[in-house]
Amino acid sequence: MSDVSLTIDGVEVTVPEGTTIWEAAARYGIEIPVLCHDPRLEPVGVCRICAVDVGERTLPAACVRHVEAGMNVITANTEITAHRRILTELMLSDQPEQSRREATTGDDSLYALARELKVSDFPWPDAKSSSNPPRGQDDSSPVIAVDHQACILCDRCVRACDDIQHNDVITRTGKGHSVRIGFDLDVPMAESSCVSCGECVAVCPTGALTHQFLGETS
Amino acid sequence: MENKAEHRLLNALEHIQQTQGAVSDEALKALAAEWGQPLYRLEGLRSFYPVFRETPGAPNRLQICRDGPCRLKGEAAVKALKDALGDRDDIEIEMVSCLGLCDCAPAAALNDSPGPLPDHADIDAWDIKDRHSISEHLPTDPYPDTAAHYSTAAQWLKRPAEEIIAEIDAAGLQGLGGAAFPTARKWQFTRAAQGEPRTVICNADESEPGTFKDRHLLEHAPHLVIEGILIGAAVIGARQGIIYLRHEYQRARAAITKALNKARADGVLGSDAIGPGHDFDIELFISPGGYILGEETALLEALEDRRGEPRHKPPFPTTAGLHGGPTLINNVETLAAVSTILARGASWWREQGIGEHAGLKYVSVSGDVKNPQVLCLPWGTTVAEAIEHCGGMADNRDLLAFSPGGASTPFLPASAAQTPMTFDDLRQAGSGLGTGALFVVGTGRNLAEVLLGQARFFRNESCGKCVPCRVGSNKGVELADAALNHQPNAIDAELAELHQTLMRTSICGLGQVALLPLVDGLKRFPDEPSLQPLRGQTPEAD
Repeated sequence: MSDVSLTIDGVEVTVPEGTTIWEAAARYGIEIPVLCHDPRLEPVGVCRICAVDVGERTLPAACVRHVEAGMNVITANTEITAHRRILTELMLSDQPEQSRREATTGDDSLYALARELKVSDFPWPDAKSSSNPPRGQDDSSPVIAVDHQACILCDRCVRACDDIQHNDVITRTGKGHSVRIGFDLDVPMAESSCVSCGECVAVCPTGALTHQFLGETS
Repeated sequence: MENKAEHRLLNALEHIQQTQGAVSDEALKALAAEWGQPLYRLEGLRSFYPVFRETPGAPNRLQICRDGPCRLKGEAAVKALKDALGDRDDIEIEMVSCLGLCDCAPAAALNDSPGPLPDHADIDAWDIKDRHSISEHLPTDPYPDTAAHYSTAAQWLKRPAEEIIAEIDAAGLQGLGGAAFPTARKWQFTRAAQGEPRTVICNADESEPGTFKDRHLLEHAPHLVIEGILIGAAVIGARQGIIYLRHEYQRARAAITKALNKARADGVLGSDAIGPGHDFDIELFISPGGYILGEETALLEALEDRRGEPRHKPPFPTTAGLHGGPTLINNVETLAAVSTILARGASWWREQGIGEHAGLKYVSVSGDVKNPQVLCLPWGTTVAEAIEHCGGMADNRDLLAFSPGGASTPFLPASAAQTPMTFDDLRQAGSGLGTGALFVVGTGRNLAEVLLGQARFFRNESCGKCVPCRVGSNKGVELADAALNHQPNAIDAELAELHQTLMRTSICGLGQVALLPLVDGLKRFPDEPSLQPLRGQTPEAD
């Protein structure tokens, strides 16, 4: 496979054909923020946080877009940062009052991104003022806590369950703004074929899939 | 072809829905065992496509369109009907997205039979057979009778493919599904692309509010569309053709089926259809529903048995489409126009337009005109002339605003009515020709509600794959709805900013345009009273 040369943020880079923009940038020490992407999984490019400017009408997701010879990629500027901030605000606006991940292990990627982008207040209606019904929680499993309200539909758990563990349990169910993750035929997790391997908890970037607390917490 | 269809999960689900009235958990478990598929995959499909229902519901289902022209003209009628039927437990009322019957707004479908919304007194005697039942000879149909059908293909298939492409190029044909991509270039690219399988797809998933021209073409001249597919197949070397038809077009489905059967019986399709040893047939695929499937890569996902969520581009379908092979996807009207152009010649086609404009265009006119209908107009006809062709404005209204190209194209004020209905002229005027769907709004209407209605449509039809579209379209609608219907709030700047993010970062065209008509309308109609609540002002009482 031949090499491709391009420019990322003014840096001349050369990578093998078929490399994504995100991988190429990472290889040269340029970090592009992501939420739905995990290098262990096939990229899906749905959170759009890694949107970059390649001089086209729209901003492609760096995690899925392959490099092209002579491409001139800009990974951050005023416009891109503004979009990343709005996308982050949109996802935050639907979050529950407390992220179970942030409250326990403290590594909720959405909140980390919000801190990095200095997101504080936003004009978008939040989950409480929304006319959409709450998306609910699924506490059926003694091992894994599911908070649908915290889910950003990044698809990481779906891919991890299928592609890493080959357990084939999780799907996106529904359509549009009411999409959720679902187990088997959209049954409670404990009634599904889930084997509680924990891979989904490991890859989830938010408080949607976390380990159940052992006992009560404050 | 039947064999192929049986190998598709979506066809199996459609069959279950048809025969059992629902796709139940038990049916999916049996299907999963039979096909060796995980349950989650079947759940993903069942929950994505609106045709599939988990439970059968009431014996009768009345679907009523909630979009664009139907909402404009039907709110009172819909409310009266709902009130009258409120205590009938044999009828379930469901508000649905555009049914493609904007000429009989408010439109409805009772047990999948489409037609104008009935009066509640007539609901039990619902009869829709009288509408459009007489086959019309369309102005672009070059054939005097059925015996002459497909003679254009017979003649051109003897000639080199390059000559076919050159003739289409000379006619200046552009994609008439809204994107305006030069047809000859698309055919050239797909022909040049390497790989298998090679497929021609007719995108007949017309679902954008205000758009119903493709239905008209399919009902009255399916042979022109089939002939266009056949010629396209010869040019790109395809062995399979697919017509991807929206579920709601029942009459078109019957017309296409009849035409396909006749073409097979006459040897137009089948063995040696496009040359010795080169078989070709066309499958009619009925979409399990949803506007997003008209997005060409979402359509491909559906044909490959997945949730109809658009793919990232590149690669484009011309090089890597259905099952990874080169795929030629054209709109119904584009394929029909190819047949007309090759039958009559590119120079004839060019002469049909006004001035420097080439050809004839089918335009769907809906809203506040006396006789909403599909018109076949010379390219370059103005908006005002199109309205006149429909008998002028209805109910003694004056023209307030119009959207010339479907739900994604911004509304222009009455002062722009002399704009010719062409891609370039309408773009320069600040809107677009889109699908050629002229939605006319008269004075006395609430323009803000009309604009928000367009955003609602896109919000409702978002596939939910990417964050800007899934979350952003919903937040935009909720923000605007609260300001319009509850508490005035100056949100024009926030909506404009949100639209920029949706336009630049959404994966497909749906999210990119979801808030466009609303945000554009706020800028273009500074004095429109109905929009003042979105600027934080209380509208003056009438």
